[in-house]
Amino acid sequence: MTEHVLQLEEVTKTFGSGRTEVRALKETSLEVKRGEVIAIIGPSGSGKSTLLTIAGGLQGPTEGEVRIAGERITELAEKDRSKVRLEHVGFILQSSNLVPFLTVSDQLKLLDKVKKGNMSKEERDGLLEELGITKLTKKYPNDLSGGERQRVAIAKALYSNPSLLLADEPTASLDSDRAFEVMKLLKSAAVKKNAATIVVTHDTRLTDYVDKVYKMVDGVLHLESEDGGAKPLEEGRTDFLEKGGNEDGI
Amino acid sequence: MFLAWREIRQNKLRFALVTAVLLLVSYLVFFLSGLASGLAGLNREAVDKWQADGIYLTAESDKSLNQSMMESDLVDEIEADETAVLTQTNLIADNGDVKSGVALFGIRPDEFIMPEPTEGEEFSEEFEVIASDSLKEEGFSVGDELELSGSDETLTIMGFTDEARFNAAPVLYMDLEDFEKVRPGASAMSTQETPGQPAEGGQGPAEEVEQPDMINAIVVKGGQPNDVPDDLEYIESEIFIENLPGYTEQNLTLTFMIYFLFAISAAVVAIFLYVLTVQKISMFGVMKAQGISSGYLSRSVIAQTFILAVIGVLIGFGATVLTGQFLPAAVPVSFDYGMMAVYGAVLIAVAVLGALVSVWTIVKIDPLEAISG
Repeated sequence: MTEHVLQLEEVTKTFGSGRTEVRALKETSLEVKRGEVIAIIGPSGSGKSTLLTIAGGLQGPTEGEVRIAGERITELAEKDRSKVRLEHVGFILQSSNLVPFLTVSDQLKLLDKVKKGNMSKEERDGLLEELGITKLTKKYPNDLSGGERQRVAIAKALYSNPSLLLADEPTASLDSDRAFEVMKLLKSAAVKKNAATIVVTHDTRLTDYVDKVYKMVDGVLHLESEDGGAKPLEEGRTDFLEKGGNEDGI
Repeated sequence: MFLAWREIRQNKLRFALVTAVLLLVSYLVFFLSGLASGLAGLNREAVDKWQADGIYLTAESDKSLNQSMMESDLVDEIEADETAVLTQTNLIADNGDVKSGVALFGIRPDEFIMPEPTEGEEFSEEFEVIASDSLKEEGFSVGDELELSGSDETLTIMGFTDEARFNAAPVLYMDLEDFEKVRPGASAMSTQETPGQPAEGGQGPAEEVEQPDMINAIVVKGGQPNDVPDDLEYIESEIFIENLPGYTEQNLTLTFMIYFLFAISAAVVAIFLYVLTVQKISMFGVMKAQGISSGYLSRSVIAQTFILAVIGVLIGFGATVLTGQFLPAAVPVSFDYGMMAVYGAVLIAVAVLGALVSVWTIVKIDPLEAISG
């Protein structure tokens, strides 16, 4: 029984070998608790994305240990890692991760087809309402603006009730107001659903809404600030969400 | 099915194109199979109608009916439940308006290969015949007097019967007793294969009355061909048909074309779906990153192919049958629905087989590349 949804222990990642060896990630340890939101900032090429993909079980580390929801995924085959991702991880990607030929509501329905334990109808409607995309459910991704698409992608990531939410520049295509809204939503969803959230971003303004800020420079992760600027949550923001228990059994 | 259907609905044009290819291929396959069975029927339907088990020819004839000549009393030496003597020659029949190449069969009316007339009546007098009803379409009718090439005699059509074509020629059935009198070059056995050469003077028939009739073959039904008389050879009906001139060659050609079309449709579907899949690699990658399994995505592609193939084959089938309704009778197409169902199923199967290339592509997609790309 652990409070930590994600645990990275002395993880390194090396690409190539010999002269062309690149150490994208130097010994990195990171733990993210339930209900915690952390931000990783840093220049491009610093290893942020590598860290995020290792944390999400998309690639294995060269050395070290990765646990998602208590499961040691370093030893799993891709097929089983895929299952872990499906059960526990929600991705919000920089580029749209929507299926072009599915309407907004079908994007969510697809998740119902492949996994159980997604949001109830009421929760779903509340989520769409909160993201301001209720009226878009019958539209296809191509008919949406960049910001709308990103909000749908967020809805999709949250819909599966992930215990670990990984967001790569989730606010890149949103205006400032909407970006703050989204960060608040991520934060309150994380708290309510007991999920751990990692946000990789350039946008330092967003760090106001997170519990911890890490900085990545040349493959080394530093803790920049702790509980620095996390603003208190507004009341009633995510009342639509049912309180998530320890449904992962961890 | 969820993904498969929605993608088809959303991208109607590109999937309509895949379906169109399958439709055209299946149309061609069905049509060729219709042509194959039609042409086969043209050659064999008279033999099929006898429902005989086999046929005795002379060993030296090498399974050729025309080359086989024997005396009709050999029939007594043959063990079978039923026997029927048969003699055959090809000639041209002319009713004054139309000429047609026909196969003239000399038979005994009390034996089992005697046809039931579907129109008119059986032959009873000298020089009367029952004709293949395919001659009706050519302009022949009951009561017509037929002038024959290579003979001065005339034959009278007393009735028509169905399924009476042999080696692509309509059959005229007549009594064996009269056959010798109209056989071209009847007096000389060795020249019976050259139609057009008139019989000389008519002294032949007079002389041969005392001798047993010369026949080409003895058709049998039932019993075991255990004791085959010397100089004769027992040939099963199917083998006999396969040895009709040109039959096997023609069948093989059409069958080969059909098999080739199977390969073509597998390749076309494989290429088409592969291109579609390659376009969707990043989408599949993202879905795999989210944890949707390769199996689910692969099943979706297979389901898609299956849906498209079934639609294409069904429309192709409908189009074939519809075309069949409007074809002139001269086109020898006959649809064997059982065979078409098999070919349709094979087409669907090879299309799904073609989709496996895409499945392999999906399995190989690395979600990481899709995400960092």
